[in-house]
Amino acid sequence: MFEFSILIFIPLLSAVVCYFITNIRLQFSVTLFVSALHLIFSLMIFIGWYQPELPFYFSTDSLSKLFLPVLSNVYFWVVLVSFSYLKKQTTANSEEGKKYYFLLLNFYLFANTAAILSNHFGMYWVAVEGTTLSVAPLIYYYRNEEALEAMWKYLFLVSIGIAFAFIGILFLTLSANGTLLEGKQLFFPEFVKHASELNPVWLKASFIFIFVGLSTKIGIAPMHSADVDATSNSPSPIAALMSGSLRVTALLGVMRIFQIVQPTSTYQFAKTILIIGGLLSLFVAFVFMFKVNNYKRMLAYSSIEHLGIITLGIGIGGLAFVGAMYHVIYNSLNKIVLFFTAGNIHRKYKTREVEGVSSVLNILPWSGWLIMISFLSISAIPPFGIFFSELMIFEGILFSNKPWILAVTMFLLLFIFINMGKTLFQMLYKKNEGEIILIKKERFEIIHFATIVLLMLLIAIAVISPNILHDNIVNISKDFGIKL
Amino acid sequence: MELISLLKGIISLLVILILSPLFVGLVNKLKAIFTGRIGAPLLQPYYDLKRLFRKETINSTNSSFISVVSPVINLVTVVVAAAMLPIGFARPIISFEGDIILFAYMLGLARFFQILAAMDIGSSFEGMGAAREATFAVFAEPIFFFTIGSIAFINGLTSIYDIYHSIRLDNVSYLVFIIVCSISVFFLAITECSRMPVDDPNTHLELTMIHEVMILDNSGIDLFLYQYSSYLKLFIYAILETSFFYPFGVRSYTVGVVIFVVVITILSIALSISETITSRFKMKNIPQYLLFATAIGILNLLIYTFTK
Amino acid sequence: MQNVLSILFCLSLFYLSVTSRVKAYVTILRFQGLLLTVLLVFPFIHHFSIFALILPATLFIVKVIVIPRYINKIILDLDIKRVIEPTIQPFTFLLLVIFSMVVVFVASNILSKSADIETIPFASGFTAIVVGIFVIIFRKKLIIHVAGFLVLENGIFLFGTAVASELPMMIELGTLLDIFVVVFLMGIAINKISSTLAGFDVTVLGRLKD
Repeated sequence: MFEFSILIFIPLLSAVVCYFITNIRLQFSVTLFVSALHLIFSLMIFIGWYQPELPFYFSTDSLSKLFLPVLSNVYFWVVLVSFSYLKKQTTANSEEGKKYYFLLLNFYLFANTAAILSNHFGMYWVAVEGTTLSVAPLIYYYRNEEALEAMWKYLFLVSIGIAFAFIGILFLTLSANGTLLEGKQLFFPEFVKHASELNPVWLKASFIFIFVGLSTKIGIAPMHSADVDATSNSPSPIAALMSGSLRVTALLGVMRIFQIVQPTSTYQFAKTILIIGGLLSLFVAFVFMFKVNNYKRMLAYSSIEHLGIITLGIGIGGLAFVGAMYHVIYNSLNKIVLFFTAGNIHRKYKTREVEGVSSVLNILPWSGWLIMISFLSISAIPPFGIFFSELMIFEGILFSNKPWILAVTMFLLLFIFINMGKTLFQMLYKKNEGEIILIKKERFEIIHFATIVLLMLLIAIAVISPNILHDNIVNISKDFGIKL
Repeated sequence: MELISLLKGIISLLVILILSPLFVGLVNKLKAIFTGRIGAPLLQPYYDLKRLFRKETINSTNSSFISVVSPVINLVTVVVAAAMLPIGFARPIISFEGDIILFAYMLGLARFFQILAAMDIGSSFEGMGAAREATFAVFAEPIFFFTIGSIAFINGLTSIYDIYHSIRLDNVSYLVFIIVCSISVFFLAITECSRMPVDDPNTHLELTMIHEVMILDNSGIDLFLYQYSSYLKLFIYAILETSFFYPFGVRSYTVGVVIFVVVITILSIALSISETITSRFKMKNIPQYLLFATAIGILNLLIYTFTK
Repeated sequence: MQNVLSILFCLSLFYLSVTSRVKAYVTILRFQGLLLTVLLVFPFIHHFSIFALILPATLFIVKVIVIPRYINKIILDLDIKRVIEPTIQPFTFLLLVIFSMVVVFVASNILSKSADIETIPFASGFTAIVVGIFVIIFRKKLIIHVAGFLVLENGIFLFGTAVASELPMMIELGTLLDIFVVVFLMGIAINKISSTLAGFDVTVLGRLKD
């Protein structure tokens, strides 16, 4: 019960506290404390110093042990930079948004933790809908027209998507008809144990509905549009939160059903669906990178690209699956860095259009260099982690029975890299005619500190490659029936 | 035995022929009361018919023999259709396997000749009315087949008399089925007999008429025949509706007749209420109204066939 | 009894497809909520328990009282015109609905052979899901989109009773709460959209494009 209260109850409590405190600084301290506690605890659970025993609809397994620190890590850094972010006025109306900012963040942590730790499909569904509800008002932080439209679209499309996932869950109940599971609750572990008895027709339908429904939230093409709008129009910390942890939480649901499908005859079908989804996402990112003229949108498409790679990796299986699990971690770390630095640029130039941004390296040297480094990192340049995870995925694809996918993927990734680089370097180096640059040293802020730490972490995890992480991922692979 | 059955059938037909103007009168009277008027006397339709009967018939010089034969054919077909309907538990005069199709097409034939006659006169107004009547008939036809036809389909019976006798109300889902069917038939009756909200029988503007505009140029005996057959038609649909409710009572002839009288009265009240509270639809909304009734029929059929 | 309620549910869907009044949508939502409540209460007639009535009572409060009132309030506050502004003819819409209904019924009858489901509520629920999506696609007003979303949710609910899934009550209550909050947030969003973007239909939402 102790760990339950730390992980789930305290965030809720602190959300309530934030409602009653009007002072932003105090709200921030409370939230930061909670997030640090959460981070420490989830790391402890991950390392294995603490064996949690969670009540009713919650439990841990190696998958949730991996995803929990990913969430609390992203959340911690987001909260850390949030205060400095809120202090600076960005638009005239955003004052109003501050009041509920930390409350919603806390609620988000509550809902998301519940989603990750749940071992029951119903609980997972309720919690994931809760994350949508807490994130939607945060998207509207700027209180402008674009943000409003993005919020509406996100709220509406994702709600419908999740409703579809619920239909999928009902189908799953149907598939259990006439087996041992009939009349029992929808607990994941039970389903995994008796998966081979499930009715294949309904299981197939269930997989499709859950995958399509949740892909509105994961941002897998062709259901990605609301996600892109939301990530590109929300404030940078929220965008980082969505790209780094929310999409991953939705991915968890797809992985759960994938795990159930694994020993059945539907497995090949599910794999094909995941591969198609992954490739389609890559293709969408590839197409839109050609014409994108909004750098935050570009980053949103990059998120789609990387979630696509992860889905592809899961679909291929084998070594690619292990790579995909590593990729989840690295991608989430890297996305925080990218969105934080992009947020700095946005704050200075007051525009998201690439046209309006020039000579960043001279005007904002810290942010400029950091965004360049993080761009290199996201493009899988060694020694950053993404290089290793992508390498693993590629190797997995190469030795699978569909090696041609590798050629397609490489081709798409190459052009994504070129176009993204072109856009970014234009922002960094281009000088407008007659522009006089006042060399002013950019103040070193907490956001830069966070970025540097995260980039170092990206290298460190990849280079040191801790055994615990590796063991955990191997355990996950075992759960998914993958022989390495 | 055979003779008595035949006699009952003849009585049924006579009842239909005699009472049909009274039903119209009743509906109109009730409607007047609901809208706060005194209204025409109950027997006004009879007076109208009597007046028309004495008037001279004048046909347009442009018209051909169709205008001459159409009113007679119209009445005859409707009377034949009326002869197929059971009143009480009596077997109607015309009753054989598959008479449900004959019933539908007898009424169809009546409409066909009316449309033809309206076109024959060559007036633009009547042509317009004929076009409308034909258009809406397209949407009204499926209603009949999806309601009465679905009962036939379920029971495997094709005679109206047998179909109505097969209706049993002991099964709950069957009960709902029948109730929904009767709603759908009510819609059909409103359409076929040009009542509100599809058509306003009392309208005075030719542009908005459907049925009335087609008989604008008829007079005397011709008009008498048309009017009388339209009264008959309304009564036929009312009987179709009442037949759904027979099985509530005991299966004896007297009880059947009592139920008949009661349901007809209730129906006239329902019809007059619905005419009082609704206003006429825009012409373009009528197809969707008819499709709505068809949809009910389809739903009914689906639900009944897929009930385990 | 389930069949009777399903027929009524389907009739409400037909009415939904031909009506052109915003108010009628709210009434239909109320009616559907009532049907679902009756559906939930019905099994408890024989073995009554107070505890089992919590879910129907909550459903009644949320779907019959609170949400319709809230939508009515939005309509009044924003002075939304009473016609729904469809993008296709009601006749075509109804044809679509009938067609999809027939397909869903036939398909679920085939499927019901492989699993133990109640065909009629199952198919009615699924039809409602399809109709909800049609409403969202073919109507312009955002408030009608919310209504379409709710019809979809009602359909899922009916559908859920047909597959006899035994979700624990806490989770059922959680889903109800989620739906309520979603509608609440959507209402706030529509309010904001009408004040900042000067309009309340989808045509004002065209800013975000690639």
